[in-house]
Amino acid sequence: MSILRADNVHKRYDELEVLRGVTFEVEPGQVKVIIGPSGSGKSTLLRCLALLEETDGGEITLEGKRPGPGEVGMVFQRFNLFQNMTALENVMCGLVEVRRQSKQDARKAALEFLDRVGLADKAPQYPDELSGGQQQRVAIARALVMRPKAMLFDEPTSALDVELVREVLDVMEALAREGMTMVVVSHELRFAHHVASTVLMMDEGRIVEESPPAEFFSAPKEERTKRFLSLVE
Amino acid sequence: MLASFDTHLFWVALSSGPYWRGALLALEVTAASLTTAIIIGFFVALGALSPRRGIRSVSWVYNWLFRATPTLLQLFFIWYALPQLWTGFAQSWFTPFMAAWIALSLNEGAYMSEIIRAGLLSVDPGQELAGRALGLSRRRILQRIVVPQAIRIAIPPTGNEFITLLKLTSLASIISLHEILTASQELAVVKFQYPEPLLAALLYYLAIVSVLMVLQSRLERRFTFTSARRRRPSATAAAVPAVSHDAR
Repeated sequence: MSILRADNVHKRYDELEVLRGVTFEVEPGQVKVIIGPSGSGKSTLLRCLALLEETDGGEITLEGKRPGPGEVGMVFQRFNLFQNMTALENVMCGLVEVRRQSKQDARKAALEFLDRVGLADKAPQYPDELSGGQQQRVAIARALVMRPKAMLFDEPTSALDVELVREVLDVMEALAREGMTMVVVSHELRFAHHVASTVLMMDEGRIVEESPPAEFFSAPKEERTKRFLSLVE
Repeated sequence: MLASFDTHLFWVALSSGPYWRGALLALEVTAASLTTAIIIGFFVALGALSPRRGIRSVSWVYNWLFRATPTLLQLFFIWYALPQLWTGFAQSWFTPFMAAWIALSLNEGAYMSEIIRAGLLSVDPGQELAGRALGLSRRRILQRIVVPQAIRIAIPPTGNEFITLLKLTSLASIISLHEILTASQELAVVKFQYPEPLLAALLYYLAIVSVLMVLQSRLERRFTFTSARRRRPSATAAAVPAVSHDAR
């Protein structure tokens, strides 16, 4: 029984066909990792799933319906924290502005989620004053506090210095263990190995191959996947 | 050299009623026009950034019209031509102050729209995306996220515009607005002595602009998003350049 589903999704920008009929589904608690060359449509697929882009055909459903605001959380490559707000205000923002919670309740929940990503002590700091890894953890807390039914990660570690990647992956792994449904675009193959339920290979707007990580990495079926893996590893 | 400098006349000028009232009037026209211009400029800037072509061209025409023609001509047009075109302006409410306010607001609105547009564009679009992912409406995103950051970028050039406007109010002396230049000329003509009245006028402008510069730096600090600003207000003078004007 799938929770998040993309059904024959098409997306084009003018002449360029970015998604050519993508169908896939995620079951509750599954972690799907998507890999593929740049321009293969991975990020566009995530943006369609988060309803940040209108699709040109096909359907996105969450539990059979169109997702509501904040129900699908999104974490971006470049963190995209609100620069005019402290870490705490960033996390509170969705609760206050979208969920219409009181500031007091929002503050309490936000502090709790900052604590979960290990950053309760950074609450009064502005994004400019945090490291990339810390900013990304705040961004994760900002999405989680909305209690989403699924989380999407768009290359969450590729803008980070190597020594900061681990702290973000740790948070994501903990989240996966707690049973969060996740779709992750990432080239962290070790993460995919350890955490993914299945790994998907995308190329030219299509899903080329999908299988459990052990199989995917040791015995890829498609020529395209083999070539790509040999370049990444 | 300074043989003909009449210190007494200088003090008379500096403390005279017409000077004070003139300065106050200039400040009022400037503040009123800039405020109106910011409102006009905000909507013209939003129009210029609109995905709709019709709206973009309205903004374009507005900027073209008010930047391509001399401010003095616009002032004349509004003061002399408008009442003849439209009797609604041939009434007692249409004072030199109102005419200067309308003319300078319309003119300055075009310049402010460019400043505001640059401010809005300076905010990384990724933040808008993040806001939408959380479910914020476009209006909320503008209010809570984009505008506060755009203000920080727009403050220094807006300070410049304030100074420009303040000096432009002297143009309105020609439509018999009794601002500082009028006061100094009247005094000079009566006494047939120019250095003292004009020097006094210069000092008034310097004083007003100095106060403005202090206010501006406070405002910049208010819109600088670091926690240092809150914890140690005394350290902010050092903290502000770190966020740097040179980033522009």
